[in-house]
Amino acid sequence: MTINEHAVTFAGKRVSDWNPQIGIINPETTLYRIATEYDGPEWTDLFADFVHDPAISQVTGIVVGQWTMDVGGDPFRVIEAIVSAREKLPKLNALFLGDITFEESEISWINQTDVSPLLEAYPRLEHFRVRGGDGLSLGTLHYDHLKSLIVETGGLARRVVLEVMGAQLPELKHLELWLGTDAYGRTCTVEDFGPLLAGQLFPKLHYLGLRDSDLADPLAVVLARAPILELIRTLDLSLGTLSDTGVQALLDSAALTHLESLDIHHHYCSDAMETSLVEAMKAAGVKLDASDNQRHSKYFDAERHYVAVGE
Amino acid sequence: MLDFLILGNPGNRRITLFQEALRQLELPLARVVSYLDLMAGRDSLHCSPHTVMRIESPGKDFEVERALLQIGAVCDDSESEYERLSVAALQSLVFEKGCILPSRQWYLGYCALLNRLTPQLAGVPLMNTPSDIQIMFDKRACHQHLQCHDIAVPQCLPPIENYQMLIGQMRQMGWHSVFVKLAHGSSASGVVAYRVNGQRHQAITTVEMAESGEAIRLYNSRQMQTYTDPRVIARLIDTLCRNRVHVEQWIPKAGINGKTFDLRVMTIAGRVQHSVVRMSHSPITNLHLLNERGDLDSILPQIGASTWAGARQTCERAAQSFDSLYSGIDLAFAPNYRHHAILEMNAFGDLLPGILYQGRDTYTSQILAIQERVIG
Repeated sequence: MTINEHAVTFAGKRVSDWNPQIGIINPETTLYRIATEYDGPEWTDLFADFVHDPAISQVTGIVVGQWTMDVGGDPFRVIEAIVSAREKLPKLNALFLGDITFEESEISWINQTDVSPLLEAYPRLEHFRVRGGDGLSLGTLHYDHLKSLIVETGGLARRVVLEVMGAQLPELKHLELWLGTDAYGRTCTVEDFGPLLAGQLFPKLHYLGLRDSDLADPLAVVLARAPILELIRTLDLSLGTLSDTGVQALLDSAALTHLESLDIHHHYCSDAMETSLVEAMKAAGVKLDASDNQRHSKYFDAERHYVAVGE
Repeated sequence: MLDFLILGNPGNRRITLFQEALRQLELPLARVVSYLDLMAGRDSLHCSPHTVMRIESPGKDFEVERALLQIGAVCDDSESEYERLSVAALQSLVFEKGCILPSRQWYLGYCALLNRLTPQLAGVPLMNTPSDIQIMFDKRACHQHLQCHDIAVPQCLPPIENYQMLIGQMRQMGWHSVFVKLAHGSSASGVVAYRVNGQRHQAITTVEMAESGEAIRLYNSRQMQTYTDPRVIARLIDTLCRNRVHVEQWIPKAGINGKTFDLRVMTIAGRVQHSVVRMSHSPITNLHLLNERGDLDSILPQIGASTWAGARQTCERAAQSFDSLYSGIDLAFAPNYRHHAILEMNAFGDLLPGILYQGRDTYTSQILAIQERVIG
């Protein structure tokens, strides 16, 4: 699997491609994606047009698509432009930096940067999502309004995890981290997640996603006995290499049945283990997505387990 | 009453489906001349004043491929020295599944055969013309043809002869992603999606390399391969170049339901008729690579009516720039749907079993269209 489609919705609203010929039409229900393309204008020129739209002050969210056609360009100037426009965007509460598909760039080829100026310029931001872990830094995460934080990478750096572990985000409900694999830059380890697992860090957390991870099994083992499992309603370990080891640990945990839903789709469980999980979750009334068992994939290789979004 | 005459490989599914369409329409079955018999001089076309000629794909038959390569073995190539197999080598050639044989030589042989037939076809109504088939089986020529007719296609690079030239030209154009395709390959044979980012390289392809010493043989596989070692990628591209390649800019395609897609669009008598949405997790969307099919109606809301109308028009203009009754067009949209482009035109792109337009399959629609064209 790869990411083949741009976001259709974000922060509960429909995403439309920004088209200067059409302008901003329904800012109450629509977010706009600004992206450059081959032979198209520069991202910053598109954005300059966007902020000149008469309805700009009504805009609540921006999706930043591909920002450069050049190799290795980071979004520094994109961030600079959005930061400079902060007075024109008083209602901005949602930002997605890097809505970039596999055909546009491998996730691990996306060059990111220090995005903290963006977060600092919009302290009322409720939803922040970023794709690409190379060069990424979130800075000091002390924000009173942030409800969802999504970091999608092909390899998550320990630095970023430690930034999240040092965060003060009292309203955070949705935390989603794509860990990726060590082959593409994952340097974080299970131990780095200690403060999160202890359950005190984000008191309002509903959803925890530790996705696309080649550490899915050891993570499941520690999660199974971590206080966080009693706090959250949804646990998402999908897109990774979860197998019988991890699922058995989860099944042994009393807290698992307190969940409302469990998502492990794209996994490597044996049929017997999958059946045990399906039955246990059914008995406990937990919604389960255990689809896309990779053992049944035509590409299955017993020697190597792959995360869904690699490289 | 028309007498249909098919040049093809008897027993091939394409011929079976065409005959079935004739039978359903209560028309007499077509006479089939086999490529092998024709090339061996055992049969000839024998056109009558009522004959309608249909040239079918010579594919999926190793003996036909061998015979075409043998014709190609004695053809001059005015362009360059591409890979060749001698007549003797061809005689002892053993079939190997997926093995990519010298496609330039095959093309020269096929063109020579088609050109030999052309005088016999003077005045005969044709469902597809030898010259169109020759253009469509030359991706460089087809691209140029479409560009000359002002039809949206991805930009291409000037001809390259090896990997070094490819890298140099990509740098010069400021491109970082391209499709390298065998100029005379059919469907996904010998297609490589290649991109580079600084020191990182990636070549996604169905081609597998078998190396023994200096010799490299290429095989089409059903499984997608990803090469990341630039030395391996260089060997792959160099080997493909020995059979003449066409290079186009790799433009990201639109996605739907988590997959990228393109469309196979069938034009008949200059009009868009059947279409199939081909959805894929990989940049190579060709149907036989086990990709999922979707139908146009389900994605029209996302494409939008006016965008689809524009794309239809592009396909129809492309079809009308050729003389053949039908063509199979590969069409893709940019992720924002503001642009579309024709990726390929397929001379034998009408094998779409089970796909109906106004209740008719591609063969039935073609038969009705040629009847109207010839009889009125």
